[in-house]
Amino acid sequence: MTHLLSLLVVIPIAGLIPLFIFRRDAGAAKQVAITTTAVELAVSIWMLAQFKVGEPGFQLVERLDWLPSLGISYLVGVDGISVLLVPMTTLLTFISVLYSSGGAIKTRITEYMTAFLLLEVGMVGVFIALDLFLFYIFFELMLVPMYLIIGIWGGPRRIYATLKFVLFTLAGSLLMLVGIVAVYIASADASGSRTLSLPDLLELRGRFSADFQFWVFLAFALAFAIKLPMVPFHTWLPDAHVEAPTAGSIVLAGVLLKAGGYGFLRFGLPLFPFGVQAWLPLLILLSVVAILYGAIVSAVQKDLKKLVAYSSVAHMGFVTLGIFVLNLQGGVGAVLQMLNHGFVTGALFLLVGIQYEKTHRRMIADLGGIANTWPLFTTFFGVFVLASLGLPGLNGFVGEFLVLIGSFKFTGVPLGGLFWGPAAAIGVILAAIYLLWMFQRVMYGPVREAYRALPDMSRLEIACALPLLLLTVLLGVLPQPFIAYIEPSLDRVIRLATDPSFTVVAFK
Amino acid sequence: MTDVTAVYPEIIVTAVAMIVLVVDATLDRRRAPTALPIITIAGLVVALASVFNDVPAGQYFRGFVTVDAFATFFRAVFIILAIFAAAVSPAYLARRMVPPGEYYAIICFSTVGAMTIALSADLITLFIGLETMTIPIYVLAGIQRSDRFANEAALKYFLLGAFSSALLLYGFAWLYGVARATDFVTIASVLTSQGIANGPTIVALALITVGLGFKAAIVPFHQWTPDAYDGAPTPATAFMSVGPKAAAFAAILRVMLGALGPLSVDWSAMLAVLAALTMTGGNIVALAQTNTKRMLAYSSIAHTGYILAAVAAAKAGPSAGAAVLFYVFAYGLMNLGAFACLLYMDLEGTRGATLDELNGFARRQPLGALAFAVFLVSLTGIPPTIGFVAKFVVIQPVLDAGMAWLAVVIALNAVLAAFYYLRVVVRMYMYEPEGTVPRLIPGRGLSVSLGLASLAVVVLGILPNSIYEWAREAALPLVR
Repeated sequence: MTHLLSLLVVIPIAGLIPLFIFRRDAGAAKQVAITTTAVELAVSIWMLAQFKVGEPGFQLVERLDWLPSLGISYLVGVDGISVLLVPMTTLLTFISVLYSSGGAIKTRITEYMTAFLLLEVGMVGVFIALDLFLFYIFFELMLVPMYLIIGIWGGPRRIYATLKFVLFTLAGSLLMLVGIVAVYIASADASGSRTLSLPDLLELRGRFSADFQFWVFLAFALAFAIKLPMVPFHTWLPDAHVEAPTAGSIVLAGVLLKAGGYGFLRFGLPLFPFGVQAWLPLLILLSVVAILYGAIVSAVQKDLKKLVAYSSVAHMGFVTLGIFVLNLQGGVGAVLQMLNHGFVTGALFLLVGIQYEKTHRRMIADLGGIANTWPLFTTFFGVFVLASLGLPGLNGFVGEFLVLIGSFKFTGVPLGGLFWGPAAAIGVILAAIYLLWMFQRVMYGPVREAYRALPDMSRLEIACALPLLLLTVLLGVLPQPFIAYIEPSLDRVIRLATDPSFTVVAFK
Repeated sequence: MTDVTAVYPEIIVTAVAMIVLVVDATLDRRRAPTALPIITIAGLVVALASVFNDVPAGQYFRGFVTVDAFATFFRAVFIILAIFAAAVSPAYLARRMVPPGEYYAIICFSTVGAMTIALSADLITLFIGLETMTIPIYVLAGIQRSDRFANEAALKYFLLGAFSSALLLYGFAWLYGVARATDFVTIASVLTSQGIANGPTIVALALITVGLGFKAAIVPFHQWTPDAYDGAPTPATAFMSVGPKAAAFAAILRVMLGALGPLSVDWSAMLAVLAALTMTGGNIVALAQTNTKRMLAYSSIAHTGYILAAVAAAKAGPSAGAAVLFYVFAYGLMNLGAFACLLYMDLEGTRGATLDELNGFARRQPLGALAFAVFLVSLTGIPPTIGFVAKFVVIQPVLDAGMAWLAVVIALNAVLAAFYYLRVVVRMYMYEPEGTVPRLIPGRGLSVSLGLASLAVVVLGILPNSIYEWAREAALPLVR
């Protein structure tokens, strides 16, 4: 029994101690944060190496009696889905901290780094928790640091944005808490002992009546749909992204949104097959609406950062569509899309931030001709834009293509896959239109004198963007190894979701 | 002799109060402000230790007093809260010329009253305890004699308190008429044999509910709370908002579950509705407040609603009792802490800081602001704090009792509350200290006790097992 996963939770917390000791020294704080997140990244890659590909179950499991009087345990583990999301999280956090230490954050560095390390605990924890109580704690632990990051180091309307973000998220998650307690009570066996551990719940989910699942799935779905966000709960997202500091946007888009999609796959689908069936038509409809609506709204944005934010809504629409078509291709596509979106949109927010630091302009109309002055920046930006719109050979294509295959194969719901598949495919075309149009307006055209003297990307900025670029190409050219991780676990999730009588004995 | 050993803790706390008064009268005026809190805290620590003295559970003083796990739990909680209240007060009292001897003695006397409630096995003991607890608090509310608002607060609190005591006593009289006894066990057995509640029983139940509702500040019997909390000196408010509240719930549990348990079918739906009204009413009015002290006053009403929800869910069994006790403990810690954080600000009269006056507080007093933020996050119910665990354990019996609607009301209320709690955090952390920010008081005792309390809020939020276990055992004598 290893303690790798607990180590992942402990490292950022341990990093807080030197951070507190050197709290008056901004330079030391930066170094501590960079070192901590780098170690965390290394451990998460080590964890990835330890993972046995091809097994559907949870691995590296650790269990500790935590609240014996309530039957709640500290239970962590990873399967093929979460094992990829954890290194993504640690990589994006490392990049965020590295970029922030370069001068993008000027005030209260120690507090900033503290918030980031706490945030990392929450983000990593969400993906490894296998007890609903623990999951909820990590889910909420992400909230307060992000609230502070947006509220203290954000843009001019940061307070409005951060309160909106917190209240939206909290409204969803508190209803989920009621749902969690309902599951807890329903899990009681003859002797009255109750549990929130996922493996146990998967065994006894047969006790959850269809009516019960209808309501409890709704409570869970609301929390995840707000986090993701699905239309119509997305209105907090543009505000939060526009006001957040660059690094905040990177992890917000890259990781926090994934917690919603992951929540559906980990808890929503496997635990409540009847609930999923009941809400499926609505969820599919909202996914496709998100794809089309996100794309159309992105097209008319004047603010570059807002455009990227709305494009997230569309991309997350693909994630939910892939999840709710309830077949293997769709599901694998959804998980890949989560990874891709993490790398690509994270990178786009990074580049928009870099650009803003130099020009202090974010309005598309104020930009232009950048290609001539910053060739390197343009190359990076171009690759990520192409990945975002789903160009074959880059990662965005793989995820969206699989989701589209899945949705074409989808049967059920009024209209079926031959309606929803093409409808979603229109979204891909729209993405090409708004992204290329934006690229053209920002990069080409006459060179602006004001920007001519500004330097291209610095070494630090390249160091931040390069790993994301490499992963974007790697996932695009060689998706198979990643799919091999995801497939067995996802297959099990789909079976659990489509067959209420299917039971698994996860591990004992 | 055994009768006396059963009430050692109460005797010790009373003795502490007396000693404080004597020392205050004999000691040099300049030394009193430092010596008295030390004497009080030391004495209360001794009393706390004596609570855990092994007295066999059972009835004492011919059935007027009962010592059980429930009494032990509440006695300990009351003493801990009194210690906390005494520890945060000295700097404020010195600045405002509040006579320290009377202040600490009042806190001790009130605590004795609260402890008596926890011990009561009889309506008469309970009523004596209730009065012993409240009368010192009337004085405490008006202890800043030269302040108009303090006088108003004391008078309002006294008049409504007296009124509610009369109602309660009248209810007790009706109950006596029904059961021909004043001890809880006999009342419960008579009510059980009686079967369906008849007219006089219903009258008694209604009067008792209203009377205790006043004491616990349940909507619509809460009107005295904001003014009394607002007008009282801030450290007194901090104590008033938790000690008497916890005592009121001890009384509610003793009476409702102990004596009126057989009527739970009649009162549980009523309490559920009152709980929903209380939390929603408290939160909505708190939203509109710009003064943090008043805001916290209304928010404490909202928390009453959450606790009451768990009482209403009593039929869920031991988990309901455990939820009430756990929430009372958590609430005491975080709410007293939150009020005490206002003590950093040097403001005229009894006023608390307005939102504007909190601007940039995190820059001026980083650790104080951190403690305040921890208490507020805990009051909101966000993990990893004890406030979250408290919400979790309250929702559980509520759902168990089949009141899903009430659980949803609790969740939605927590969102409402998040708005105004986090607004304070916004002011402290996200605004610059501009305009008229009040002078700050360097209070080491205050910082140390707030630091300890906020640490406890987080640590017990991560490791709540022992407290929960204790709360569940303590509730067993009443809820089975």
